[in-house]
Amino acid sequence: MKSPPALLEPRGTAVLDDYIVDIAWAADGSRLAVAGGEGKVCRIENSSDALSVSEVGQHGLGALAVAWHPKQALFVSSGQDGELRLYDAIDGKVLARQRPSKSWTTHLTFSPDGSQLASAAGKQISLWNSQLESQHALPSLEATVAALGFDKSGRDLAAAINGGVVVHRLEGPRYPVRHYRWAAPCITVNFSGNGKFLAAGTQDGSVHFWYLATGRDSQMRGYPGKVDQLGWSGDSRYLATAAGDRVVVWDFGGKGPEGSSPQQLAGHTDRIECLAYQPRGNFLATAGLDWRLSLWLPGKFPAAIDAHLTDSEPSCLRWSPDGRFLALGERKGKLSIFELVRI
Amino acid sequence: MATTDRVPVTVLTGFLGSGKTTLLNRILSENHGKRIAVIENEFGEVGIDHQLVIGAEEEIFETNNGCICCTVRGDLLRILGQLLKRRDKFDYIIVETTGMADPGPVAQTFFLDDEFKQQFLLDAIVTVIDAHHIEKHLDEMKEPGEQVAFADVILLNKVDLVSEAELERIERRIRAINGTAKIFRTRNADVPIERVLDVGAFDLNRALAVDSAFLEPQYPFEWAGLYDLAAGRHELRTGSDAHEHHHEHHHHDENCDHAHHEHHAHDHGHHGHDHHDHDHDHAHEGGLAVALLTAGAGEPAAVIADNIEPAVRAFAEDGVQIDCGGTLKPATAPYRIDVGHDGSHFHIDIERAGRYVLVVEHAPIEFGLRIEGAKPIVERRFASHHHDEEISSIGLTDPRAVDPNKLNDWLSYLLKSRGADIFRMKGVVSIKGEPRRYVFHGVHMMFDGQLERPWPPGVDRVNTLVFIGRNLDRQELEAGFHSCFA
Repeated sequence: MKSPPALLEPRGTAVLDDYIVDIAWAADGSRLAVAGGEGKVCRIENSSDALSVSEVGQHGLGALAVAWHPKQALFVSSGQDGELRLYDAIDGKVLARQRPSKSWTTHLTFSPDGSQLASAAGKQISLWNSQLESQHALPSLEATVAALGFDKSGRDLAAAINGGVVVHRLEGPRYPVRHYRWAAPCITVNFSGNGKFLAAGTQDGSVHFWYLATGRDSQMRGYPGKVDQLGWSGDSRYLATAAGDRVVVWDFGGKGPEGSSPQQLAGHTDRIECLAYQPRGNFLATAGLDWRLSLWLPGKFPAAIDAHLTDSEPSCLRWSPDGRFLALGERKGKLSIFELVRI
Repeated sequence: MATTDRVPVTVLTGFLGSGKTTLLNRILSENHGKRIAVIENEFGEVGIDHQLVIGAEEEIFETNNGCICCTVRGDLLRILGQLLKRRDKFDYIIVETTGMADPGPVAQTFFLDDEFKQQFLLDAIVTVIDAHHIEKHLDEMKEPGEQVAFADVILLNKVDLVSEAELERIERRIRAINGTAKIFRTRNADVPIERVLDVGAFDLNRALAVDSAFLEPQYPFEWAGLYDLAAGRHELRTGSDAHEHHHEHHHHDENCDHAHHEHHAHDHGHHGHDHHDHDHDHAHEGGLAVALLTAGAGEPAAVIADNIEPAVRAFAEDGVQIDCGGTLKPATAPYRIDVGHDGSHFHIDIERAGRYVLVVEHAPIEFGLRIEGAKPIVERRFASHHHDEEISSIGLTDPRAVDPNKLNDWLSYLLKSRGADIFRMKGVVSIKGEPRRYVFHGVHMMFDGQLERPWPPGVDRVNTLVFIGRNLDRQELEAGFHSCFA
């Protein structure tokens, strides 16, 4: 077997007094924001060894999401108190607050150029400018938004709902809507980086994808449970999903995955809870209830090329936008940062 | 993850105005030391410090093919998922549904996947009923019947607004739908908290508690009384002026002319059963069946017991319909008497003084039925099998040991073919050669079963199965279960 081309090198850890539900990286990988299930919002300096943590806010009984501006030193958090907050990432001060909805704002995502922030609360998607000033509420959807994602251009915003994926094209005086219907609760959605595919994972154990050019769709079944983790490789060739303790990778090269069998990568011994493909790269990280973090290079290696044990069940896994660092959050509050070191 | 860490969940159902919110406020304000999260479909007036109250918009997820058996509540999935994202879990979760909610998808949400089963333990479905309006609701809508059918605990609330006779009738109707729920009569939803929380209705480790009366043989009558009657004419009366009626139906005088008049109209036209169109009770349409049997000597309770079989034979006959003012005699067939709304009266002609057993289709207290001037020497109530309700309960008992493979085949077949109609099922089964009891329960097609603790020494190994659902066929279920014997 070939020797692995890269390893995850532990860089630093911190223990937060909270359950880590979401992590957002600064564009340059210098800082992170963390949302805690019991309400804390923390800003963390990605220095080597001990990571310095500062608590910058509290969202009532629970924080739900964090998102970092792709270009500026700004980040946003939302929580069960109904608030959206914009922070200055340098000093941690709150710059703006909004309370757009009675429902929980569960999803936050910036457009790739940072000009727009999309938030979702219940069936309602709102668009904000980067200063969290003006709200533009899109027409209420027919079901609750379970996931949000921009395409690479920032022109299309996809929302996974019970009944498919709704894509708003954020152009012109009114935003045209396209509903990619599928009669199942879709709970996660990702555009491929090449703009050709839209993939969704469902509550009832399948992955559905659409060819954006034609609208033709396809279903991939056989999952033992809900599919809430999806990731595209940087070259858009592979779609990685988790099925129990297996990493299931569909190959979109050549004629595409239809009629083919996926690669099934074994290594975890319990349910995979987190899955993240390296942005613009081809390394895949997964973490499972076996308290193991694994690094894969699908298509090249059938086994994990590196693995680390965690201190409790993992709860969140995020690559820095440049693909150099990987942050792993755990249920008991431990945050670990690894650096991808090429050999 | 250890199953003991599971957070118990109570599902609270009931119509608007039933007292559901009152009960919830009671639970939250009681000093029980629990940290409770409440998930509400509508933001009500609940709001207690240190308790989390979350508003949820009811959202049904149909997974797979859209069959009712596979529907779950998407809003609950998401909210419960969020509640798990804490290091210190809530001690208890209460899901308060809207009055019109179907309890099926709510309950099924907790069976959906292994992750949820590891984290949550559905404790019980508690249904609060407004005694004053439930009969009308049961007649007019399907949701109240479903809420009664799914319940493990029923609070028959606002009992101060109805008479004892009405309560008897309501309870009988609830029992016909759900033979196993625990029923508590309450005012202002005032009930000890341990009756509604930590009930363990879905806990396979706790014994399946079924009201034994529900499993007794069932008869086409509910009551028998032994009388000593002198020769001559006696008065059989229904109705009472001893209590107020709270029904909002038309008042009829206790007047035979009126009844005769109504009956004439009936004779001339309708052969239907709907001339009691403002009455809520289907049970005595076509008249209340009563039979008067000649009884022998002996110990009074034994005399009643001896007359069960003749009574069953008598009730197999159609019976003679008689109007107010008509006459009954000892006979081997029942009479169907018009009990009227505010009472009616009949004559009983006795040729020879002696002992007679009066057998009545439903409990006499519901109609104020009595023989004037005569008290029963002894009376006995019987479990009755009602066919009146579309939704009903069927209980099976049998001591014969079961072949586990056959049982598995039958239950699989049953879930597949009747899963949509079977709301709840529970059972304790004696498996051949197995010292432990096999216990199971199910909600529609979601099924959970395991071998549990051994049969206690000195206790007979008896299978007990209960099905609650729509259009259930006792013979089909019986035949199916009998095919499982080893």
